[in-house]
Amino acid sequence: MDTSQPTPIVAVENAGVHFPIGHGQVLKAVDGVDLAVMPQETFGIIGESGSGKTTLGRAIICLEKPSIGRILHAGIDPYSLSARELRRHRRQYQIVFQDPNAALDPRMTILKSIREPMDVAGDLPDRDRRARAVELMERVGLSPDFANRYPHELSGGQKQRVCIARVLTLRPSLIVCDEAVSALDVSIQADILNLFAELQAEFGLTYIFITHNLGVVAHVSDRVAVMYLGRIVELGRTEDVVLHPAHPYTEALLSAEPVALPSQLRPDKRVVLKGELPSPISPPSGCRFRTRCRFAQPLCAAQEPPWRETAAGHWSACHFAGELPIMSAAELHPHKQRESASRLGVHHE
Amino acid sequence: MSIVTEGAARTRTVKKRRNRFLSWLISDKRAAVSLTFLVLLASLSLLAGFIAPYSPLEQSMDILVPPSALHLLGTDDLGRDVFSRLVHGGPMTLYASFLAVCIGTLIGLPIGVLAGYIGGWVDTAVSRMIDTILSCPSIVLAIAVTGALGIGLTNSMIAVGIVFSPGLARLIRVQTMIVKGELYVDAARTFGMTTTRVIFRHILPNAIQPVIVQITLLLATALLAEASLSFLGLGVQPPQPSWGQMLARAYSYMEIAPEQMYAPGLAILFTALAFNALGESLRSLLDPTRRRSD
Amino acid sequence: MSKRALRLIGSRLIQVIPVLVLATFAIFSLLQLVPGDPAAVIAGETATAERIEQIRHMLGLDLPLWQQYLHWLGGAVRGDLSNSLITGLPVLDEVMRRLPNTLLIVICALLLSIAIGVPLGILAATNVDGRIDRIVTSIASLGVAVPNFWMGMILVGFFALKLGWFPTTGAVSIFQDPATALWHAALPACALALSGIAEITRQLRSSLIDVLSSQYVRTLHAKGLSQSKILWHHGLKNVSLTLLTVIGLVFNRTLGATVAIEAVFAIPGTGSLVVASATNKDFPVVQGVVFVLVLIVIFCNLLIDLLYSALDPRVNKR
Repeated sequence: MDTSQPTPIVAVENAGVHFPIGHGQVLKAVDGVDLAVMPQETFGIIGESGSGKTTLGRAIICLEKPSIGRILHAGIDPYSLSARELRRHRRQYQIVFQDPNAALDPRMTILKSIREPMDVAGDLPDRDRRARAVELMERVGLSPDFANRYPHELSGGQKQRVCIARVLTLRPSLIVCDEAVSALDVSIQADILNLFAELQAEFGLTYIFITHNLGVVAHVSDRVAVMYLGRIVELGRTEDVVLHPAHPYTEALLSAEPVALPSQLRPDKRVVLKGELPSPISPPSGCRFRTRCRFAQPLCAAQEPPWRETAAGHWSACHFAGELPIMSAAELHPHKQRESASRLGVHHE
Repeated sequence: MSIVTEGAARTRTVKKRRNRFLSWLISDKRAAVSLTFLVLLASLSLLAGFIAPYSPLEQSMDILVPPSALHLLGTDDLGRDVFSRLVHGGPMTLYASFLAVCIGTLIGLPIGVLAGYIGGWVDTAVSRMIDTILSCPSIVLAIAVTGALGIGLTNSMIAVGIVFSPGLARLIRVQTMIVKGELYVDAARTFGMTTTRVIFRHILPNAIQPVIVQITLLLATALLAEASLSFLGLGVQPPQPSWGQMLARAYSYMEIAPEQMYAPGLAILFTALAFNALGESLRSLLDPTRRRSD
Repeated sequence: MSKRALRLIGSRLIQVIPVLVLATFAIFSLLQLVPGDPAAVIAGETATAERIEQIRHMLGLDLPLWQQYLHWLGGAVRGDLSNSLITGLPVLDEVMRRLPNTLLIVICALLLSIAIGVPLGILAATNVDGRIDRIVTSIASLGVAVPNFWMGMILVGFFALKLGWFPTTGAVSIFQDPATALWHAALPACALALSGIAEITRQLRSSLIDVLSSQYVRTLHAKGLSQSKILWHHGLKNVSLTLLTVIGLVFNRTLGATVAIEAVFAIPGTGSLVVASATNKDFPVVQGVVFVLVLIVIFCNLLIDLLYSALDPRVNKR
């Protein structure tokens, strides 16, 4: 362990989340994931539905208990704490859900919902809680007039702002954004993403951004992990992963990014994945992606691929990592070469 | 906001609630009628002593007299004024219904919530017990339990309450399970909320709606149960008046004075109808998306 | 019968066992509910100490609880539900003697409920919010609010006493004289059927409305299928499952409701038996009647469960 490195705010150590589903079968939604999130970075997790990314996000903030491995918060295993300590500890690790409708109690006013975490914590006097709640409402762009309204009177975007304000009341260290903008109108998405960026700078937050939308994740993340069927197949700095993918699955995801061009001008090099997502109950042997991979070899079925660092800070799980003629973003969208970096909004240091 | 405006806001909320209640009554005629009837019945029950011209226990020599000026609804086989007995039977009936439903709720609700929230083997065990009690026809079970406890109004209504509890438990169990899966419950847990607080702050308020409707409808069932049990001699004991019991007596003298049957029967019918109508109206009223801040 | 069907029946039977066991335990524990000393309570206020001890010994109350339960259970399984405290005769015999009378009116009432309730429900659902629907719904609302024994009394008063078309009281065994038995059972069955009709009408109406207003049916309409064809093929097939469940419910309720009806019509059935024995604290009889009725209800639910699986292809997946 490199002691000169700061302690990761979240360290996932070979964690898995298994759900028994009757008849002796087990659904391994997350099956052996290792990653570390550094303080104040934005870490993206991308995958299609069924990849286990939401379950991983929930496990990180202790809504699901890891069946194997462990997830450390700043070096501490939350499940080693007493129930009382855990309740106190977990306030620092919050989540904004995908569906703002379902995330708010329909019987509580907006103000009550936003105050709720503080009411539970009970640290501040009543008047201060109210003041902070109103202050945060304004900070996220909601007029204080909304305070006595009910959730069903607000739009989706407004409700999501309420959820963000609610989460901020506890001044958390980490916020998991689980598809936080996916359910919103495209025009609102940009606003909310900008809000996230501002808040990060202002409050020194760390984000874990979970999404299926490569465009979003490339726009906001410093580093990104690609998940497939409960495992991470590629991990690295966003620009490395996006511009020079090392895993065939990442390549396919990138090629599927919609390009805003009229069809006659679109010389797409689409990588079409064969077949369908296998059942997570009985994943393919060896490399899980092999059933849809255009480079699959017999070795892929026989052995699980090693987790290798192909370039500095850039990892992937493939037997042939670095050797495959995987197209980079430049090759996938040649006419957009100049713009690819900025359109994908990749961070530069 | 300052204290002054907060106080003003609270007064406004109270006014809004009252207005909402009134506008509900105006729009839903069925609710208005049934609520009026029930309030009337309750008042009559409270004032029974003043309204009834005779004591319900006072016997006389004028037996089985048809309705007249002296006796509005005639007299029964012991010369007692039927109208007075009817009026005095009201409070008995209301008390019986509420007692049964209270007991059913007190037993069924906590069990159902715990089974739904905790899940696992607790839930399985509770569900089996519910299935078991529900596998016996309710009235028969109520009679059996009454026999064990000893016949009488309170005991028989306790028995009815016990028989109600599995149904209520099952209902709130399902509702609890639904609400428990909602994201706002997950959110509450991430804030570090204790289980107890989650149950009282989030689960119960959101799960309780169908239960309130069911409880109101159960009042009608309890009423009919009390009538049956008193008719069979297991409930209210003579000489206390009870509508069911009055029907029993009327039946034995049916050939001589058939009109005796109608008053108590209609009283039971209308009260049961009122409870049912109220329950159905509540069902359409209690809907969170109808809550407005205006 | 196919192997799969046998396996299904087998698995359902196994599922029923824990409920049965719990039920027997609950029935047995009925005695424990008695406040104070059950033996003294049963013996009555004027009993001597010897009589109380006699009863205690007869009921096995001097044995530890689990022994009592096993003893009772063992007897029940063999068909020995002990003897009545009043008559000294075997409980099972008495119950079995009376059961046919009760079942006759219950089954007649059930058939009536289905025969009237189903058409009414269909009528209401196909005329939603129209005059017919409102009338039917009002009748149904009345039906659940009317005390059934009162209905019985009125029926007796009018049809039996006034018009003389039916007998007022009594029952005849269906095995001896079916025609007379049915004649006696007619009025009681009518009184019993009232709430069953109301319940079936309501449930059928609401689930039929749901089905008929579903996207699928609207598509069928658009394709040009006639209303009646839609109703019979698609509509009824889908509500048959709900109907089955409701019938089970109605059967359970009717079985209980006979208690009051038997009192009105002086029918020697299990209902009147349980009332008399509860009043007289004849607990073995009470327990025996409850036991038999529970068996009947569980058996019925099993039947309905199996029919459900047979009708609903989805349930058979596993």
